Amino acid sequence: MTEPVVVCTFGGTSQAGQDETEAALTLGRRVGEARGGELRWLVLGSAPVELDAIARRHAVVAVDHAEDAKLDTAGPDARVEAVAQYAAETQPRLLIFNQDFDSRRIAPRIAARIGATAVMNGLGIDVAETGGLHVISAAYGGDTNVVYAPDPSRPCVVALMANAVVAEPAGGSAAPPETRSVALDLSAVEERIEVLEPARTEGPRLEDAEIVVAGGRGLGSPENFKLVETLAEALGGMAAASRPLVDEGWIDSSRQVGLTGKITRPALYLAVGVSGATQHMAGCAAAKTIVAVNTDADAAIFRHARYGIVGDCLEILPELIRAAAQMGAG
Amino acid sequence: MRIVVCVKEVLDPDAVGAYALAGSLVIGDDGKTLTQTTIPTLMNAYDEQAIEAALRIREAGVECTITVVSIGEDATTILRHAVALGADTVVAIPPPAPDPDCHAVSALLSAYVRSSGGADLVLCGRQASDDDQGVVPAFVAESLGVPLVDIARSVTAEDTSDPQSLRVTRVTPDGDEIVRVACPAVVTVSSELGEPRYPTMPMRMSARRVEPEVVTADELGLSGADLEIRVGTVRQTVPTVKGDCEFITGDTPADIADRLVARLVEDRVLQQK
Ligand SMILES: Cc1cc2nc3c(=O)[nH]c(=O)nc-3n(C[C@H](O)[C@H](O)[C@H](O)COP(=O)(O)OP(=O)(O)OC[C@H]3O[C@@H](n4cnc5c(N)ncnc54)[C@H](O)[C@@H]3O)c2cc1C
Repeated sequence: MTEPVVVCTFGGTSQAGQDETEAALTLGRRVGEARGGELRWLVLGSAPVELDAIARRHAVVAVDHAEDAKLDTAGPDARVEAVAQYAAETQPRLLIFNQDFDSRRIAPRIAARIGATAVMNGLGIDVAETGGLHVISAAYGGDTNVVYAPDPSRPCVVALMANAVVAEPAGGSAAPPETRSVALDLSAVEERIEVLEPARTEGPRLEDAEIVVAGGRGLGSPENFKLVETLAEALGGMAAASRPLVDEGWIDSSRQVGLTGKITRPALYLAVGVSGATQHMAGCAAAKTIVAVNTDADAAIFRHARYGIVGDCLEILPELIRAAAQMGAG
Repeated sequence: MRIVVCVKEVLDPDAVGAYALAGSLVIGDDGKTLTQTTIPTLMNAYDEQAIEAALRIREAGVECTITVVSIGEDATTILRHAVALGADTVVAIPPPAPDPDCHAVSALLSAYVRSSGGADLVLCGRQASDDDQGVVPAFVAESLGVPLVDIARSVTAEDTSDPQSLRVTRVTPDGDEIVRVACPAVVTVSSELGEPRYPTMPMRMSARRVEPEVVTADELGLSGADLEIRVGTVRQTVPTVKGDCEFITGDTPADIADRLVARLVEDRVLQQK
């Protein structure tokens, strides 16, 4: 094993999770090819159903499966310790995580524990002429991109943003990966954070919605947010919001889209009264079709939108609700 | 209880966003730095909310001292703001070399906490709005060997007369999660905590004369090797978004709505039932 590139996932189950895993494997494989380093896949906890097929599709050399009862909860201490033990044994050059709520808190801790460098918000990784890594990362919510050169004498931990890399199979027919069970000793780990009340996962997740109707400050008042909810319902989608609406308490924070909210990837993202700040777009730029309604023809959102309506959302929304209902009935 | 709040001075992200939108965000000759001198700097908003979290703990009746510390060439302005908000002590740590990376910053912060008698609670913003990295709190927690509770909406002492442990509400994608953690701990604060208070005029007036205590890397026992840049910046660029928006127009809102829906059906984005 020479300085492998390791993609680390936590038992991905959802479709979105699988797509992201494949994106990370694609990136890992490319870096491995460019630098000379085998691609390994570290799976913590329960394995995804299609593990084998995914691994072959991406020419993964080895699947390292780490199982322990302590990894079945999302407890951060067990996960950090597990990856640290694995890293001590495998000596990865690069550890790639899909950036999400859970990895955001453990990836930098793992880096600190194993003396690695850490770069979050990763958009891609190039191999410099010197053989060192250049990690491209979003800054200012995406207003700028920064290229970082992590110290090549240390391993590097990168969290890859959702939708940053398009998954691409390796092509050709890869040999089936070597599969190995990782020996861990987590007996000394006691989670230091005690969950008193778990988050209640209620109903469908915004991340999985095929149609999202998002409201922004342009709605003017919390009452008008009902129009967004009604339209979402008429289209069979989900209502979402920009951060100011969450800050103002118009809607629960689980509906916030953006850099510090949910990353959505619906077929249709319909944004009304949203200006299109990069921090917001970070959560919806991967939508297949973006439609924007805004009074300001110069609003940033129109740069991302496929279709735009320059107008007052309070006038347009009731008509969209009607048209959507007619479509459903007709 | 000793609370240490870590704060960073950043370029106003809204101003950066406005320049970006106008297409006039320019990177300097070094290929790395934003050049607009007209962009104001301010305290990272999440860090300000971390101070607010500390003040709320005090107001809930916990006997505590609140120390606000910042690594920066000249942190006086934001540290005076911290005093105006209600910080008891403010500490500036000038970085030995310009543009310290997250490792250097974390090394300085954890050395400061250790050398100043430790902290029961280290509060940080969840991330800085300039680089959005959010790794410093994790590095500090690991360096101090204490737990990290991230993305808090509220932080309270379980027992205000004997604050040995904290009750923290975390904002998760699935809703709020309430956790308990023993002190010492590092907690990061998110925007859901709510607006930080606005300093009163008398507070601002008296803060104007405050000079932060300056602590150097030498005094913290850190040398060049400890503070080496491990994640160097090669360059910064401004990505361009190429728009191809088709504007839907019509005589009435009803007309426009019908046309849009028709287009979406045509594109198979929406299905006619
Ligand atoms: C570190 C950081 C993280 C952040 N994270 C997020 C995040 O995760 N998600 C997020 O959303 N934001 C986030 N933000 C905030 C972000 O920068 C913007 O401030 C925010 O997205 C703006 O929300 P908005 O578009 O609703 O409001 P505004 O920017 O105020 O835009 C309102 C829009 O409505 C339009 N309008 C007004 N009246 C009408 C009308 N009658 N009909 C139609 N249009 C109308 C206006 O022309 C304007 O374009 C973050 C900021 C920072 C600094």
